[in-house]
Amino acid sequence: MAHLTRRSMLRGSLALAAAKTVAFPHVAKAAATTASVWFPQGFVQDEDIALRKAVADYEKQSGNKIELSITPFAPERQKIVAALTSGVVPDVMASNPTEILQIYAWQDRWVEVADVVETQRAQLSETALVSAEAYNNVTKKRATYGVPIRASIVPCHIWKSLVEKAGMKIEDIPKTWDAYFDFFKKVQDNLRKQGERKVYGLGFQVTANGVDPYQLFMPFLVAYGGKDIVTKDGKLHLDDPKVKQAAIKAVAYLGGAYRDGYVPPSAINWNDADDNNAFHAKLMVMDVDGTLSTEVAIKEKHPEWYFNEIVTHGIPGYPNDNAGKPVPAFVYITTGLIPKGAKNVTVGKEFLKYFIQPKVLGEFIELGLGRWLPVMPALAKSPFWQNPKDPHLKGYATQGLVGPTLPDHYVYNLAMAEVRNQHVWSTAMIDVAKDGAKPDAAVDKAFKRIEEIFAKYKMA
Amino acid sequence: MDTASVVAVGRPAIRRRALARYLHGNLKGGEYTWAVAFLVPYVAVFLTFVVYPIVYGVWMGSEASLYRELFADPIYQSSVVNTVLYLALGVNVKMFLALLLSGFFMRRGRWMKVLLLIFILPWAVPQISTFISIHWMLNGEWGFLNNVLYKLFHIEGPHWLNDRWSALGSVIVSHIWKWTPFWTLILLAGRMAIPLEISDTAKVDGATGVRGFVHITFPLLANLYLICTLLSTIFLLGDFNTVYFVSGGGPANSTHVLGTLGIRNAFDMAQPRLGVAAVMSALPLVIPLVIVLMRKLRTAEVQL
Repeated sequence: MAHLTRRSMLRGSLALAAAKTVAFPHVAKAAATTASVWFPQGFVQDEDIALRKAVADYEKQSGNKIELSITPFAPERQKIVAALTSGVVPDVMASNPTEILQIYAWQDRWVEVADVVETQRAQLSETALVSAEAYNNVTKKRATYGVPIRASIVPCHIWKSLVEKAGMKIEDIPKTWDAYFDFFKKVQDNLRKQGERKVYGLGFQVTANGVDPYQLFMPFLVAYGGKDIVTKDGKLHLDDPKVKQAAIKAVAYLGGAYRDGYVPPSAINWNDADDNNAFHAKLMVMDVDGTLSTEVAIKEKHPEWYFNEIVTHGIPGYPNDNAGKPVPAFVYITTGLIPKGAKNVTVGKEFLKYFIQPKVLGEFIELGLGRWLPVMPALAKSPFWQNPKDPHLKGYATQGLVGPTLPDHYVYNLAMAEVRNQHVWSTAMIDVAKDGAKPDAAVDKAFKRIEEIFAKYKMA
Repeated sequence: MDTASVVAVGRPAIRRRALARYLHGNLKGGEYTWAVAFLVPYVAVFLTFVVYPIVYGVWMGSEASLYRELFADPIYQSSVVNTVLYLALGVNVKMFLALLLSGFFMRRGRWMKVLLLIFILPWAVPQISTFISIHWMLNGEWGFLNNVLYKLFHIEGPHWLNDRWSALGSVIVSHIWKWTPFWTLILLAGRMAIPLEISDTAKVDGATGVRGFVHITFPLLANLYLICTLLSTIFLLGDFNTVYFVSGGGPANSTHVLGTLGIRNAFDMAQPRLGVAAVMSALPLVIPLVIVLMRKLRTAEVQL
């Protein structure tokens, strides 16, 4: 012990440090060609397999290495927020949830990726291009921060077998908004007459958890004429009587269906996966839920359900509004994002450029069983989407890529993302559904909250 | 140079030597270096995993505007009420039951050991799967509880998790069910540590049954009981799993406590600073609790 001195310890430490750099040179080399990519886990395993294949193909072609991290949906969101808060970020991450693009663009936390998007601009849908943009409150400008990867709409999933059990036919489903949803109330009434104690007509997520209730409410708001609640310039229009009437009607219909016993009582406390599980358990005849996860989740285990017993919409796309005009579908775009502070922006961009090539993207979506939609309308023409034997895919693709669509309002104003995450509409629906509030009073309360939220986000 | 000047010149050197002696203790040369080398990892771990997170948390929740936003949020207000109820009922009912049950398990006999083994099972099984099971059991449509009620009595059970108070009640009962065995074991150990001669002497003096409990057992257990209650309160203030997995904070965000609200604000709303502020707002309660706990742990009197 007497031989050890402070100087000898320092010398030893320096020697060790020097030896490490000589012994492990690949660490420094790897940093130049390695990018870390975060992606949420798929609802079905095929989605993850498709992603791994795309990544492996890129690695083979480029010689670069991708450190892929696949995390379940909800924890991945937490991981993203934690990473952006701490500053320890990956090179590429998928926007989970989709509005994370707008939330952090406001704080100038993303690298601009217009150059990546430019490589496929002609192929991408207009909605995808708009959804990839966001307002930056530091530069006071809108810019492209996301690379569109995949899309989803919010279809209606229906148990054909339950409709038929009630003595009705899918072909009888009306094609206008209120009549369409009222049809399932009649199905429930008929089933109850047959002694079915626990089957409900409508799987409305009248809850304040997850993304489902917002995605349920918004098509109703648009169908009743409230599309312009936020316009493309990001301005809020709560003073528009059309918007207010639409909000009242939407709250009244959704909350009223629950209050009148046409929605499973537990729906008031559902999480995003609960409605899928309840639908598979035949607790309700129909469910309005984003993506084709409901269908693809059971395709392998219950092919007879997928091909014979469940139908998507039952009619081509959404029903028309009560005046007979088409109702556009909201399209939610998952984008690839490169956070500021990423160590390897070059490889990150290169990977995204590779990933959004139509061939790669098309294969990625199709290998994932078509739960998600491609962001390129041309890809909907592939035999996979046009397969006449598949009862779900063609209609899903037509509605999301060919029919009238629109991006969510938070694309134009970030405040709407907070409206979504604070579950302002959910609270209004629940006020009517459970607490017996009048729809106009519930909407007044919601509008007050929305105004408060919008006041926080002033755009130049 | 006079005597005073000599002392003045020598004073800094004396101070330096005194400081070196203070820092080095009796260690000399290489021994001191080794001591420092062994100390460094512990200091580094302490700084990284204790000091840094606390300072970072305080920094994240340091803006006054966060608290203005938080206090204006109606969900925060109901969460504070829920937290107080959760603490008051969850801790006290659980500890009181544990106190009674620890007396029950003091009985002799092999069957008592078997019963104790069964009794601690809720505590031994993983809590997340347990709470998810409870959530499913309480489901109004297809849950086990309502199905049993219907099969046996043709009663349509209530929707336990659809109402704020029944959902919060379910959370509290779940917590009590899960953690009573643990605190029972602690108090049982405390009872077993009471010297036999004290209880035997008390019995000779006629202090048996309730009188023995009131005059002998409880006074000897009081300090342990208080420490357990304080610890349980601190643990429960940061509880997340019970609320998150039993009621999910619903319906309509009405059963959140500060722990789950913090997570909601931080991650669901992507406002981590607001989430930290929600949790930090419990500090005025936590700090006095920790101070009282520390004081109690230092009590020098003869207490268990």
